[in-house]
Amino acid sequence: MRDKLLHAPPDLDLFATDRPRLDDALTRRVNADPEKLERGLAQLVLTIVELLRQLMERQALRRIDGGGLSEEEVERLGRTFMELDKRMEQLRTEFGLDEEDLNLNLGPLGNLL
Amino acid sequence: MIDLYAITDDPAPPLSEPLTAVASHGLAVVCGPAEDGEVTAEVLWRHEEVVEALMEERDLLPVRFGTRVDDETAAARALGDRHVQLAGALDRVRGAVELSVRVIGHAGGDDLRAKAAAAAAVHGPLSQEARASTQLIPREPSELLRAAYLVDRASVDSFVAHVARLQEANPRLRLLCTGPWPAYSFAES
Amino acid sequence: MSRDVTERNVALVDLVDRLLGGGVVIAGDITLAAADVDLVYVNLRALITSVATAEEKNALPRMGSAL
Repeated sequence: MRDKLLHAPPDLDLFATDRPRLDDALTRRVNADPEKLERGLAQLVLTIVELLRQLMERQALRRIDGGGLSEEEVERLGRTFMELDKRMEQLRTEFGLDEEDLNLNLGPLGNLL
Repeated sequence: MIDLYAITDDPAPPLSEPLTAVASHGLAVVCGPAEDGEVTAEVLWRHEEVVEALMEERDLLPVRFGTRVDDETAAARALGDRHVQLAGALDRVRGAVELSVRVIGHAGGDDLRAKAAAAAAVHGPLSQEARASTQLIPREPSELLRAAYLVDRASVDSFVAHVARLQEANPRLRLLCTGPWPAYSFAES
Repeated sequence: MSRDVTERNVALVDLVDRLLGGGVVIAGDITLAAADVDLVYVNLRALITSVATAEEKNALPRMGSAL
C-alpha cells in the first residue's frame, strides 16, 4: 500500500522485515525446538488446556452422578473424553512435552495441576 | 458466524452489503459474514480496507482482526457488556487518526541509556504534536523506537512535516512514518 | 526487490502490529462443551477484571514471579 508511507527514507528496506518472520505472525505457528521461547509458550498453553480438560471431566462426572443426562449423552461424554485424552497425548508428543512438563510450579501456591 | 470490524455510534450512516450494524446502548458494531481460509497478507489488507472505508464517513474503534461471534445476538451482548468503556474510548479518538513511527539507526552508544535517549529525542517532540501516544514492542534488532500517535485529522500534515524535520536533524537515524490508520493502539485503555 | 514490493512489506509490518496486536478486544463468553453437553461457562472479561481487582486489594499473591 504505497499511500500508507507518509515519510520514508531512501533505504526503505531497513523497515521491511523477513517474510518468514511475518508469515509466523500470520499463521501463528509454534516452534517445537526446545531452545526456542515458543516451546515455553506451547507448554503454557497446553497446561491451560489440560487444566480445562480436567475441570470439564470433573463437571461431567458431577452431571452424570446428578442423573440429569440421558444414557446416550453419558456414553458420548465418555467417548469424547477418551478422544480428548488421545488428542492431548498427540499434542504433547508433537511438542516434546511429558505429562510432568504440563504441571507448572507456582511457588508458594504449589503445583497448578 | 460473523466477523466484527468496528465499533461506531448508533445511529450511523448506512452500510453497504454485506455489512450490517448491530446496535446496543447508543453504540453499534459493524459485522460481516465470517470468512474462512488461511490468513494471508491479502486477507489482512482486505479487512483493513473495509475498516478504512468506514472510517471515511464516521468515527470508529477498530476491532482486533479475527474477532468472531456466533450471531448478531452474541455481537449485541459483547457490545452491551462493555458499552461504557467503549463509548469512552470512542470519544477519545473522535476526529483523530493513528500514525505509526519507527526509528532505526545509531544511538551514539550501544547501552540502553543511549538508545532510550535517542528514542526520546523523537518520541518526545512527536508526542507533543499528538492527542495521545504510546510505544509498541520493538521487534527488529536495530529498532530504537516503534510508536503510535493519535493525531487530529487536521494536524496530520504538520505531524508528518515534523517527522521530516526530525529526520533532517538526526542524520544517523532513519525515521519511517506510516498512516493514517484507524486508532488500533488507542482502542483499549 | 522492487520498491513497490518493499513499500508493501514495510506497510504490512505496521498493519500486522495493529490488526493482530491492537483494536478492541472482545473476549466474549466461552462455553466449554463436550459431546454437545455444555459443562463450563466462562466470562473471560469478568474473570480478568476480578483477578486484577483482587490483586490491587492485595487479596491475591502476585503471580508473575512464581511462573
